[in-house]
Parts: sequence; C-alpha cells; structure tokens
Amino acid sequence: MKRPTRTEARNARAAFGFLLPFLAVFLLCFIAPIGYAIYQSLLKVERPAPLGIGGPTNEVWAGLSNYGHALEDERFIHGFGRVLLFGVVQVPVMLVFATALALLLDAASARWVGFFRTAFFLPYGIPGVIASILLCFLYVPGISPLVEIADSAGWQVDFLGRDAVLWSIANIVTWQFTGYNMLVLIAQLKAIPGDLYEAARIDGASAWQIVRHVKLPLIKPALVLTTVFSIIGTLQLFAEPMVLRPLGTSIDSGYTPNLHAYNEAFTSNNQHIAAAEAVLLALVACVLSFGFLKLVGRGPRDGRDGK
Amino acid sequence: MALWNEHHPEVRINLEKVSAVGGAQYAKMHAAVKVGDAPDLAQIEYSVVPSFLLDNSLVDLSAYGGDRYRYRFVGWQWQQSVYGRSVYAIPQDSGPMGLFLRQDLFDAWGIRTPRTWAEYADAARAVREHGAWVETFSATNGNRFAALAWQAGGRWFGTRGDSWTVAIDDAPSLRVADFWSRLVDDELIKTIPDRQNAWYKDIQTSDIVSWLGASWGDALLTGNAPDTAGTWRAASLPQWKRGENAQANWGGSTTAIFTDCTYPRNALAFAVWLNSAPEAVQLLIKGGYGFPSAVSGYTTGDLEGRREFFGGQHYSRIFIEAGKAVDTSWKWGPTVDTLYQRLGDAFLEAIGDGTAFRSVLEEVQGETIEDLRDKGLKVEAGRSSASG
Repeated sequence: MKRPTRTEARNARAAFGFLLPFLAVFLLCFIAPIGYAIYQSLLKVERPAPLGIGGPTNEVWAGLSNYGHALEDERFIHGFGRVLLFGVVQVPVMLVFATALALLLDAASARWVGFFRTAFFLPYGIPGVIASILLCFLYVPGISPLVEIADSAGWQVDFLGRDAVLWSIANIVTWQFTGYNMLVLIAQLKAIPGDLYEAARIDGASAWQIVRHVKLPLIKPALVLTTVFSIIGTLQLFAEPMVLRPLGTSIDSGYTPNLHAYNEAFTSNNQHIAAAEAVLLALVACVLSFGFLKLVGRGPRDGRDGK
Repeated sequence: MALWNEHHPEVRINLEKVSAVGGAQYAKMHAAVKVGDAPDLAQIEYSVVPSFLLDNSLVDLSAYGGDRYRYRFVGWQWQQSVYGRSVYAIPQDSGPMGLFLRQDLFDAWGIRTPRTWAEYADAARAVREHGAWVETFSATNGNRFAALAWQAGGRWFGTRGDSWTVAIDDAPSLRVADFWSRLVDDELIKTIPDRQNAWYKDIQTSDIVSWLGASWGDALLTGNAPDTAGTWRAASLPQWKRGENAQANWGGSTTAIFTDCTYPRNALAFAVWLNSAPEAVQLLIKGGYGFPSAVSGYTTGDLEGRREFFGGQHYSRIFIEAGKAVDTSWKWGPTVDTLYQRLGDAFLEAIGDGTAFRSVLEEVQGETIEDLRDKGLKVEAGRSSASG
C-alpha cells in the first residue's frame, strides 16, 4: 500500500470539510430519527402500580414483541393490502395522464405552453389536507352537486361508500400529483437534444413515431423516478383518508398503514407499537422501491439480450 | 379568562385553543406530556381522565387540599375523577341526555313522543312512512353508544382490587346493541355520521326529525338549523321499562392540572374559580359549555338562552331532571379513546357487512382487554365488585 502524499491527505481533508455540512444535517435529520424510531420500537411500558395509577412507568426492553403485535393486527395488514391495490391502479393511471400532458405540451404545435404548464402544476401547490377538503364538497351527499345531479337522474352514487371511497381518494391524489409528475417529465423532454428529432424527421418518422421511438425511451429515467416517488407516496397515504374519515362510514382507523400508526401513537398513546409500525412501513417502502428499480433496471437489457 | 386576569393580577392565565375534532386535542396533549411540554391546565372529558392518569400526567389534587371543594359540585360528577383515594380533576360540566324532536312534524304526522324504546322503534317506522328518518346510527359515535349503554344499566369499566375490569358486552349493553341493530336492519334509521355536514343538511331539510342528544345540543341545533327555529322541543330519553326514570350522560368535561405545572396551588385555585364562581359559571353557560357541574351560581333562566328555538319550552328542566337520574356508578377506563375507535371500526364493518351489532361488543370486549394488557395493566373480564 502506498502512503497518501501530503497533497492527497490535504485533499481528503478538504473533501471531508465540504461534506461536513451535508453529513451533519443528514445525520441529524435522517439517521438520528430513524435510529430513534427503531430504538423506541424495541421498548414497552410497564405499569406495576395498582391499576397502573400513581406508580412509576418503566420503559423496558421488549425485543421484537411490538413487531409481532403489529403483524398480528389484521387491520394494519389490511391497510397494506389496500394501499397496494391503490398503487397498482392509481400510479399507472396518474403516470399515463402525466406523460400524455407532458408530451402534448412538448409537441411542436402546442400553444400557451407556459399557461397550461402552470395550470396543470397548480394543484401540487395545494396541501393534501386542503385538497381533500375541497374535493370532499363534491363527495358528501347533501352538499355535492354531483350527487344531486346523479340523484335527479335516478342514479344513486355514494362517493364515500365502502367500495367507492378508495377511488375517491385516488381521484384526489391523481388531481394533486399529475401536474407535478408532468413537470418532471417535461424537464427530461427538454433535455433531449433537438438534432435527434431532426434526424428522426429526416428518416421520415411521423410525430407519433418520434414519440414512440425517441421521446418515450429517452424519458424512461424520469418515468422510473416518478414511479418510485409515487410508490412511496402511495404507501404513505395519510392526509386524504384522515380528512374523509369523519365524513362517511367507510374509512376505519387503520385504513392505511400510516393512519394506523398515527392512531396507535396519538389515539391510543402506544408510541412504541406505532414506532414498530412506522419501521415496518419504511421497510416495505424500501423493498418495493428497490424491487421496482431492479425490475426496470434489468428488464430492457434482458429483452435486448434475448433478441 | 380575561375576567380572572383582571381580578387576580398576581396569577396570569394564558389560553391556547386546540382543535377538538375527533379527539385531536388529546393527541396533542399526550404528545405534549411525552415531551414534557404540557400546559398547566387543560379541559379534558371525564372519559379520558384515566388515560392521562396512566402517564402520571395529572396532579393529585387531594395533595393540595382539593377535597375541600367537593361540595361546590354535583356529587357524581366530582366522583367521576376520583380514582383510589384521590381526586384528579375539577368537574366543569356534564351532558345529561334527552331527545330533541321536531314537534311540528311529529304532531302533523300524529306520532306521539316516544316514552319507551319500543315506542321509539314504532315512531321510527311511522316517521319512515312519511319519507323522513327519526335518527342516524353514527358508527363512529362511540361516546353516544356508551351513554345509551350507561342508561340501560351497562357498566363497562370498574376495578377489583388492583385490577381493571372490562364488561363492554354485559347484558344491558347487548340489549342496546340488539335494539339499534334491528333498527338498522329494518332500514328505519340512517347510518351517516352525525354532527357532520350531511347530517346538518338533513336536520335543515327535515330529512332527520329527531336527535338523541345532550344538554349542550341546544347550541348545536340552533347554530346549524336556524331556519327550523320554534319547531323543536326537548323530551326525556325513552325508557327500557315504562315508568322508569333511567337517564344518561353524554360528554361533559373537567379542568385538570398537569404535573408539569409549576404552581399547582394557583392552578387549582383557578380551576375551582373557573368552574364554581358565579361570574365564571355564567360565562361558561354563555359559551355553550353545557350544564355546569357547580351546584350554585346560576338559575334555570341562565340555562335557557335559546328558548325561542324550542317554541318557548322550558327545555332546561328536561335536562336538569335527567341529570338527577343518571346512574352514578359508571366509571371510565384508561383506554377510552382506543375503545371509541375500536367501536367505530367494528360498527362500520358490521353496518357494511350487515352483521349484528351484538358481535361488535363481543369483539371489542376482547380487544379492550388486550389493549389494557398491552398498557402493562392487570385486567379481568366481567363486572367489578363495586358495581355488581
């Protein structure tokens, strides 16, 4: 092994100096809370006093029992099933919309591009809670004009019904995030060099063929990115069911895993179990995101090899 | 608040209002206790006092001579916050229950005010024949269901020695569950959540023509259905046995002092003043807080600020009488917030699947015992020796 020269050592120190601000914030805001959550998830409370009143409350080592508790909780597990179903339907629909809008605004013949881009993006600027409150006025029977119109046409609709409410939530999320994903895709489209289009046109490609064979393959990284963001966002679904919950009779306290963990922590005051649920949720998000990355990272290459 | 600060310059009180939607205020307080940033005093409902006791977050007021104020308050409301030999909160108000109904429509349709639950079911059918609904069974309204079980003679929580006892599926409660299960099955009542936009709309448009509410409901109806003024009346709760007088309490709160409080003696003085000094009680009544727990300092006239809305009826008498006949042995357990949530979840499922409500209580009974055990408490199923 070669000893580092003085210059190299100085460079390393300098590099570390530049990294320090990032590392400090990263440790403080990212690693520390995760570490604390994992630590909390391994504890439980004991209350040895009669009736648990007046005596000490001891936090003791619980091993993995909080995880066992969470995994045995049917409502928590059902919540996962629900958000997965949600993701399988909503994420593709939203990304198809986002891609279509991005391609339309990127088309050579598009007019008023700036205006439409802002208009489509605007819902993203509205917090999820506010968006849910806005849209619930279209959902709640007795207030919603849509329900009233359907009613007068003899058609009974209940947007907050047991089977419908998940898709009512999907509608809110789609409305909110399509514009954001569109913007990410547009950014990538703008980065495609113009001579590629020129070359395609010289080769006689139609506008549709350019989309199919030039644009779409080149925005694949952005599509992968937005899909991963959307998967994580879906698993973290919280504000929308939280807001819609009191309005109907379809959303229970564990409708999504996040809502379940929230209620465990703040309704039932069981922070340790909630911490375990949060860690489990993070694990699932990790597995799904990396699983998806692996899937798309390998998929096309395998395809080419097969040809 | 301002009144206290004016008269007690040496002890200043600052107020923080918290959102009280769906128990969100308690979430905030539990979190504040956890991080040691709790307020000195807080308004909390009787039903959640024990959940704060578990975290040792309430000051034992007996240690500061709190017991000597007990005679300023209605006995059973004082008792609600007594655990062991100590009192942990000063009662503020209560919510004796009654039946609010649209007398004009009941009269027009020839329906008598129901005196028993059997008559209530008949009234529900009769109202339905006129296209309206008598009530909604709000799945997520666990506290009203608890109150109705309380009226029927249910005793959900108790203590035996150093164990908690849980009896959510006791016979009286099952009877109440069966009754409402039947009404829902026969489609005689709605199942929308109450006190939400859709419900307000229903009472405005006379789609729902009565409400099993509590004394504080006068402000709610007046505020949300002002156009129906003059048509409402209050009546006593229907009875399980004709001629009996069993009543129920829904809601009501206390002023409790958190252990982080630096000056518990001053805080106690304020809590007592707030809830028993005539000038403070008058303010609470004006603010729509419900029936004062203080035994004096107000007149029935003060409680009837909305008489025109009830067609001139002396409606507060209904609730005063109800308040006297509330069974006083009911105790709350330490996981009531979770219990309401579990009831809500299970009722939602039962309504969705069309299963009987009886199974809801059986399921929640088991879950609640688990919940207490998970809190590190000793717990037994069945009635406590104190009430049995």
